[in-house]
Amino acid sequence: MTNRRTKVAIAALVGLSMLGACGKGASTGAETAAAPEAAAPAAEEALLPNGLTAKVQIETRQAQLKKMGKAFKTISDQLKSGSPDVAAIQEAAASVPVESAGMEDWFPAGTGPDSGVKTDALPVIWETPEDFAQKIADFRAASDNLAAVAAGGDLAAIGAAFGETGGACKSCHQTYRADD
Amino acid sequence: MSAGAPKVLVWDWTVRLFHWLTVLLVVLMWWTAENRVMDWHTRLGVTLLGLLAFRIVWGLIGPRSARFASMAAGPGAIVAYLRDLLSGRHRASAGHNPLGSLSVFAILAALCVQVGTGLFSVDVDGLESGPLASLVSFEAGRQAADIHEISFNLLVVLTALHVAAIFAYLVFFKDNLVRPMVTGRRAAADFEGETPAANRASWLRVLIAAALAFAAMYVAWTAG
Repeated sequence: MTNRRTKVAIAALVGLSMLGACGKGASTGAETAAAPEAAAPAAEEALLPNGLTAKVQIETRQAQLKKMGKAFKTISDQLKSGSPDVAAIQEAAASVPVESAGMEDWFPAGTGPDSGVKTDALPVIWETPEDFAQKIADFRAASDNLAAVAAGGDLAAIGAAFGETGGACKSCHQTYRADD
Repeated sequence: MSAGAPKVLVWDWTVRLFHWLTVLLVVLMWWTAENRVMDWHTRLGVTLLGLLAFRIVWGLIGPRSARFASMAAGPGAIVAYLRDLLSGRHRASAGHNPLGSLSVFAILAALCVQVGTGLFSVDVDGLESGPLASLVSFEAGRQAADIHEISFNLLVVLTALHVAAIFAYLVFFKDNLVRPMVTGRRAAADFEGETPAANRASWLRVLIAAALAFAAMYVAWTAG
């Protein structure tokens, strides 16, 4: 009896793992079909006019954006807390203009999803470049303002400036980033 | 089944209220997440935390059909029950059947993971975060958010299985399991002479479980 039960369980497990394997096989197949083997590494490794590969360019901008996400979490945590640490807010706010310096150059042609590198940057960035550049300029202005207001230390004003900066992030991401 | 036929209380009112409020909250929380209404997503999440805390305490001190100890069935019992079902033998259960218990434990666990990770989740921009996210790093908050997304898909699968099973009982065994989850009652005749244990909720115990649930909500809301 117990033996039979065990066999049933093993059969079920084997079946499930085969399903898993099937899923994997299928997805690999699809990726290969979408990006022919010769082209995929070429696009990833090809040099952009700025001398970087698409892979390096994309990973660098992702790392920079992540630093900003971290800074925003610090500010958001402090603003939500009962006794905000103004120095921590000031430090985080001051880091954003530094980390985002040169952002207008982070999205050269050839660093979209077609490059074969995993990125949430949508192709529409390169279809409406003027609007995208404007969104970056808006964000840069908002984060400069946030840093300046934070230096002043007025929590209510910081809250308002932080809201504006967050709004600038979102208004760009909802159009130009996947999964948003 | 005439209206005058004697009935038995299978699910006490708190179990039923928990069940349908959870359905409502999960739907609302999905909607608020999809539409990025995060302040309400958080409020509803803390409410769901309270409901789950109540249900877990109720699983320890509630009436028989609500108790985890009476729901827990070994693999042997589950296999035997499945074998009976597949050969067309079905008996009404005064509470969870062995397979239903498995589903309840899985769904409760998925809901706990969902609420637990939501408390600490941070969005990719660092702008939106759960009420306890200030206690963890950006990276940990992102990981919590990743699990939050995976376990939601798991919850959807478990819920679909749950609904499919309820439908199967209705189609194959002419057993409507939705009605007892609304009215709490089943015909006594369904139990073939056996009298199931009383499942009435004691007010004192309801108050104890509710107090603990509110305490859990308070901690989630203020500890961050």
